[in-house]
Amino acid sequence: MSVKDLLKMSLSSLWRRKLRTILTVLGVVIGTASIVVMISLGLGLNKVSMEQIEQYGGLTTINVYSNDGGYGYYGGGVAVSVDGSDSDSDSQEPVRIDDAAIEQFKHMEHVEVASPILSTWVLLRQGVWESSASIRGMSHEALEKMDIDIKEGSLPEEGGELQFFYGNTVITDFYNSKTGQNPYYENYDYEHPENNTTADVDFMNTPMFVIFDTDAYYNSQYGGTDENGAPVPAPKKYMVPGCGLMAGSPEEWGENSNSILCDVEALKAQLKKVFKGKAIPGQPTNKSGKPYKEIYYNQAYIRVDDMDYVTDVQDQIRALGFQAESNVEWMNQVQEQSRSIQMALGGIGAVSFFVAAIGIANTMMMSIYERTKEIGVMKVLGCDMGAIRNMFLAEAGFIGLIGGAVGLLLSYGISSIINFVTKATYESGISYIPFYLVLLAMIFAVFMGMLAGLFPALRAMRLSALAAIRNE
Amino acid sequence: MVQEREPVIQVKNLYKIYRVGRNKVRALNGVDLEIYRGEFCSIVGTSGSGKSTMLNMLAGLEKPTKGEVIISGEHLERMNENQLVRFRREHVGFIFQSFNLLGTMNAKENVALPLTFRGVPKKVRMDKADKMLDLVGLRKHKTHKPNEMSGGQQQRVGVARALVVDPEIIFADEPTGNLDSNTSAEVMELMKKIVREQNQTLVMVTHDNHLASFADRIFHIIDGKIVKIEDNRKNREVVEA
Ligand SMILES: Nc1ncnc2c1ncn2[C@@H]1O[C@H](COP(=O)(O)OP(=O)(O)O)[C@@H](O)[C@H]1O
Ligand SMILES: [Mg+2]
Repeated sequence: MSVKDLLKMSLSSLWRRKLRTILTVLGVVIGTASIVVMISLGLGLNKVSMEQIEQYGGLTTINVYSNDGGYGYYGGGVAVSVDGSDSDSDSQEPVRIDDAAIEQFKHMEHVEVASPILSTWVLLRQGVWESSASIRGMSHEALEKMDIDIKEGSLPEEGGELQFFYGNTVITDFYNSKTGQNPYYENYDYEHPENNTTADVDFMNTPMFVIFDTDAYYNSQYGGTDENGAPVPAPKKYMVPGCGLMAGSPEEWGENSNSILCDVEALKAQLKKVFKGKAIPGQPTNKSGKPYKEIYYNQAYIRVDDMDYVTDVQDQIRALGFQAESNVEWMNQVQEQSRSIQMALGGIGAVSFFVAAIGIANTMMMSIYERTKEIGVMKVLGCDMGAIRNMFLAEAGFIGLIGGAVGLLLSYGISSIINFVTKATYESGISYIPFYLVLLAMIFAVFMGMLAGLFPALRAMRLSALAAIRNE
Repeated sequence: MVQEREPVIQVKNLYKIYRVGRNKVRALNGVDLEIYRGEFCSIVGTSGSGKSTMLNMLAGLEKPTKGEVIISGEHLERMNENQLVRFRREHVGFIFQSFNLLGTMNAKENVALPLTFRGVPKKVRMDKADKMLDLVGLRKHKTHKPNEMSGGQQQRVGVARALVVDPEIIFADEPTGNLDSNTSAEVMELMKKIVREQNQTLVMVTHDNHLASFADRIFHIIDGKIVKIEDNRKNREVVEA
């Protein structure tokens, strides 16, 4: 018996009992849709979390912080320069990030980029527009390797004069110093973000005035005095050229979108020049309150070549006494969570599919009782036992196939409704049906249909031809 | 003129014993017979004498308790169910008392059904079914469903279905049992004619002596034993113990 004839007979006997077939298929439709929608929610949640992690610096980045004592780790084989006068064995030696430490990080296995991060708060000013911002000095190599999308200009030059590279959301922090108003947040339009206005600041062609000594600035502004009671003079303003802009609208948040990046060496030189003979704000001091000769970094940025090694490298860095953080722990937690959510949701769906499978088995059983005589006649006329079994399996498989296909259509419908309703909270959609889920669902539906039909099909196959035709 | 050829059906010392509760029913009680190619044989006896059991055994629908059934040189009692199905498909046509046409198919499709099981392409089997229906005189009813035909017409479809595969042997269990006497005679003549023309072997079971007399040879069965074999062609009676 040819496969074509076999499938045709199966289809025609399904067609013969339309209403019953439709009802059984309906069960599969509901079962498939509930599984697919439930899993799509789990996948969507996972996707949302992963996107969030991506926004916060991806999965191969490690942020290293200095350990200024108090809590944390004892340095083992610390190669960081420490104040030699500190002989108190009770207090922990602070572990700070300097060039030697960066060198050490660089030579660790799987470390692709290791860069210092030196950040400092400054006041930016262009015409009436003002912004209090943090600038972030990093090594030229790191800046180049961070895959920054450049809209205009270029990354800061290595070793030259101080230049700023502006992130795409930096503009939103500028306010009018006369009115104190920030045009971006003042008129923020949630419905149409493209209509938002921003401060009229030109980063590239008009020079930016930068006040590094912000303490002195505020003191002079509000009539503060120094130790001797004399009014504080206004600090010097420096003109810093912009070298580039990051791609993206003010609404797009990314890893460095709100940073003002510059070359770390240039920043160091600038800070030394600005604070000649004075303590640089944010830098550590020794017991007697005097600054060290060297400038210590606030942080180090480390990128590992593969996310599998992140924990490894992280442990090595911690062993040196630093604090090290990455998104891997976060991600593991998120994934574990979304796995258990998927399990729970999928389980709910599975129950309804199980009911559908029982429906298929029931329908097939009834069909076989009705067709006992027909099956017997076919056997007497020489129809292979295998062909009879396959005919019934195909029938059950068709129910699964049709139910699965319609169920998937329904799932897409439900999914887009869910995404529409939750649009405000989850921009990229909380229900996500990837292609492989479609494929899996189809295979699952057909397979489950056939599995449910297996017992009835075997029963049909073993039916005694004689018993079937005898009751004349 | 008894053929000197190999018999197409050979039954040796055949027993079929049913257990009903504690009792044993000897449906067949030591049957020996030989049927030759091209013969039209009928098995006749009263109700419950074991005719159907005999026929089912010959068609491989039921396993004997003891004894041998050899058809075309093959031992049916040694075959498993799969092999029996294949055997029927290749050698046997079957005509039922209650026609047993599939209600969802029209006459032509019903006739073509056994060819489907043999994997014959659709066009070929439809052509064959068409010719077969012409042969049984149902030129005008080819697209009728079974419930749109009379009993006689339905049984003609049944005959066509049994013959379409060009089988070596055709078995018929009370083929006219559900028909009135006139129609019965018509169907009998039809079967006899076609079997004769195509030189096929027909084994028919009936409880009606008159219908049995259409056959070349008549096996009389009583209580599971063959008691008499009549040969119509020689008008000679052979009585067996
Ligand atoms: N499946 C069965 N179980 C028990 N007894 C049976 C079975 N089939 C037939 N018989 C018995 O065997 C005997 C012969 O039956 P059967 O061959 O059907 O007779 P008939 O000549 O009327 O066709 C009867 O007595 C019947 O009751
Ligand atoms: Mg009978």
